[in-house]
Amino acid sequence: MKPSTLWEQFSRRLLERSFNILIPLAAILAAFVVSSVLIVLRGVNPLTAYGALLSGAFGSPNALVTTVVRLTPLVFTGLAVTYGYRSGFFNIGAEGQLYLGAMVVTWIGVTFTTWPGWLLVPVALLGGALVGALWALIPGYLKATRGFNEVLTTLLMNYIAMQFFEWVIRIDHFGTTAFGWLGLKDPTQPFPKSAEIVPAAQLPTAAGLLTRLGITVSTPALQRLTLAALLALVAAIIVYVILFKTTTGFRARAVGVNPRAAEYMGVNVPRTILTTALISGALAGLAGAMEVMGTQHRVISNFLVGAGFDGIPVALIGQLHPLGALLSALFFGALRAGANKMQIISGAPIAVIYVIQSLAILFAIAGTTVELRPRRRQPAPNSGPAAPEVDHA
Amino acid sequence: MTELLRLEKIRKTFPGVLANDDVDLEIRKGEIHALLGENGAGKTTLMNCVYGVYRPERGHILWKGQPVEIHQARDAIALGIGMVHQHFMLVPPLTVAENVILGLPSAREPLLDLRSAAIRLRDLGKQYGLPVDPGIPVWQLPVGVQQRVEILKALYRNAELLILDEPTAVLTPGEVEDLFKVLKGLTQEGLSIIFITHKLEEVMAVSDRVTVMRNGRVVQTVNAAATNANELAKMMVGREVFLNIPKPALPAGEVVLAVTGLAAQSDRGLPALKGLSFEIRRGEILGIAGVDGNGQTELAEALTGLRPATGGTVAVSGHDVTHASPREIMDLNVAFIPPDRQHTGLLLTFSVGENLIGKEFCRPPFSKRGFLQERLIRDFVTGAIQNYDIRTPEAATPAKLLSGGNQQKVVLARELSRRPDLLIAAQPTRGLDIGATEYVRQQMVAARNAGTAILLISTELEEVLSLSDRIAVLYEGEIMGIVPASGADVHEIGLMMAGAKRLTSAAPAVEEAA
Repeated sequence: MKPSTLWEQFSRRLLERSFNILIPLAAILAAFVVSSVLIVLRGVNPLTAYGALLSGAFGSPNALVTTVVRLTPLVFTGLAVTYGYRSGFFNIGAEGQLYLGAMVVTWIGVTFTTWPGWLLVPVALLGGALVGALWALIPGYLKATRGFNEVLTTLLMNYIAMQFFEWVIRIDHFGTTAFGWLGLKDPTQPFPKSAEIVPAAQLPTAAGLLTRLGITVSTPALQRLTLAALLALVAAIIVYVILFKTTTGFRARAVGVNPRAAEYMGVNVPRTILTTALISGALAGLAGAMEVMGTQHRVISNFLVGAGFDGIPVALIGQLHPLGALLSALFFGALRAGANKMQIISGAPIAVIYVIQSLAILFAIAGTTVELRPRRRQPAPNSGPAAPEVDHA
Repeated sequence: MTELLRLEKIRKTFPGVLANDDVDLEIRKGEIHALLGENGAGKTTLMNCVYGVYRPERGHILWKGQPVEIHQARDAIALGIGMVHQHFMLVPPLTVAENVILGLPSAREPLLDLRSAAIRLRDLGKQYGLPVDPGIPVWQLPVGVQQRVEILKALYRNAELLILDEPTAVLTPGEVEDLFKVLKGLTQEGLSIIFITHKLEEVMAVSDRVTVMRNGRVVQTVNAAATNANELAKMMVGREVFLNIPKPALPAGEVVLAVTGLAAQSDRGLPALKGLSFEIRRGEILGIAGVDGNGQTELAEALTGLRPATGGTVAVSGHDVTHASPREIMDLNVAFIPPDRQHTGLLLTFSVGENLIGKEFCRPPFSKRGFLQERLIRDFVTGAIQNYDIRTPEAATPAKLLSGGNQQKVVLARELSRRPDLLIAAQPTRGLDIGATEYVRQQMVAARNAGTAILLISTELEEVLSLSDRIAVLYEGEIMGIVPASGADVHEIGLMMAGAKRLTSAAPAVEEAA
């Protein structure tokens, strides 16, 4: 066989790689185009609407920070789903894991009020990750040892987690009732709402960091931009490294592709499933932790419904790649951030963004059926009987 | 005999491949005509041109002396050509009669006319010796009877020429005999049959004339009575092929694999292995002969930790591994070529390189503190691709894009580059063309000569005979006997494979060990 030149190899690689990015981009573009029909039917110029959407998402430092704040939990849930899907553990339970993560982080943040920040922040993050991981470990264990379908178990455990949260948020924090130690509700409030976590448990903001460096800034946006955004970026890189550069990831991907072949190659399949469940659950738990420690600083009833489920489309549009999840979370975050401005300025209803979002998912899934096969060089037709081995497959 | 079908200068290409190159073929009325050739020789492509699945780019098809155009299967059926594909085209939940009339207009349109169809099917069955109950759903029928339904389907459509694509691949030896009887009966009724195969014995057993194809061309058409299997093999491959690779005699080494009373169950929970005992020494190949489905898969899986043993013991180099995990067995330097490279042997969406390190990735030097050492891996992969002549565009190409032979080379490279003490090779050449087969066999003999103990499980008796030092015959999960390969009586092995004979001393013959 003729070795292809370096340039050919490079250009083909480039084509294959960019093709992977092109599918979701084309899907998003198509979603905007199709949705514009709806906007026209409302009597609104779609360009006006999309312009407002774009400006609401990226048009000012404030808009930009809003986008970043919105996308941060989505990055974590998207990564949770990506890692799980890659490894054959279809984690539909990010929502529940996120709720429990937020719950534990809040509990730590309102309980250990005297701890210094350098201790409290890592402990809280760890607590959030740990509870998500352990919650995912239950369906992981059931799948690894009993063959339970994790799609069902993780999905159903969402409701257990959310109802548990709703129960806890209605118990006074260290109140006199039997489960007072568990309670999250701020006793001074009439509503199911926790107290604000102590400042030491809140993630440092960009403004805060700059102030510490002696730079005073007056941009209010920087007060909302926290370490969470950076941690999301770091998490995406770490997940990428684990998946593609470590033996853990190799095992996980092998099990995800073909558990039978993986077992034959000596991979301990049940243990790999458990590891995957832990990592996926921890990421989802961290999504809740970021939201509480970075943005909301407290939890209320129904505080972040859907962010866990949204991890699934984020992962799918991200082509089940950790860095793809980052970009796709940007798309989702921008839609959410710009929606209000779109409605106010153009009159196109906020619901349009859900149409765009759904269409993008549909088109992205349709796009996965388009496959780019590298062109294979076939042996010359008249290689004759002298060439004993001519494999055409 | 009069001519029924004539193909003149048929040419068919696929992108980059010349599948049929000016092929001439003549089929006479009332003959069984074998179309013999290796995988990829162009047999099936040619027949698909006749049946209207493909359109030849050049050449003519003459039916009873008249030039005809066959654009689709419907045209072929209208002419009186029927084809039974290797993979049956039946709808399992439908009954035999429903399957047969599927696609035909009913005599009582728009109503179905199952009753007259059933009557006609019974008559046809009687006439040709193909009894089938028309009212039974197809999924309830054994494979051999399903094939009968396919043949009846063609006969019901008044076929005069029946094309059978590798019809024996799915049949047991008994069913093969029945089929051959039916085919001979059909020719007596005036039908012609084209019989696609790559098995020489079948050609000799059933056909009147043989056309041998190689690399898309016809080598020769000969009368079966005027030739023999050796001559046909030579024509088929184009050179003297001896898959018999010379093996130097080696002094008996120490026992590497010792199996005593091994029992295991099939996937359905039935006993599949019923107390097997044998041992293999360093530098020895023990071949397991037997008809497919007599416990071969279960044996390979039980020995490699993929299937729990329900009784007996397995010891590798003195370590008891009866209940060990695949990884623990692997760590005793045991290699395994699984019977299905597509589902077990390879991670098809993983790259060639990733597959090559599929077993060693978690060990130094390929991994260090849990991280993959990409440069060392790349060096190893490049070397393995060269050493084992794996034809792949690059190491990063997904394994699924390789041809079967090259996929098997990836498996072989991964398993043999570890210089194993014990190799369990299950169907190592299944589905490979002759060149790749030869290569795999050479590599296995080389490993044996280097001291590897090899358990060769193969349903190709010829392969077992040519590679093994000793041969054990497996029948319904039991070993019927173990004989030395040199001077083995093929007839006797055949009887053991059919369960008709059992050697009294079923214990391994190890006198020569001394």
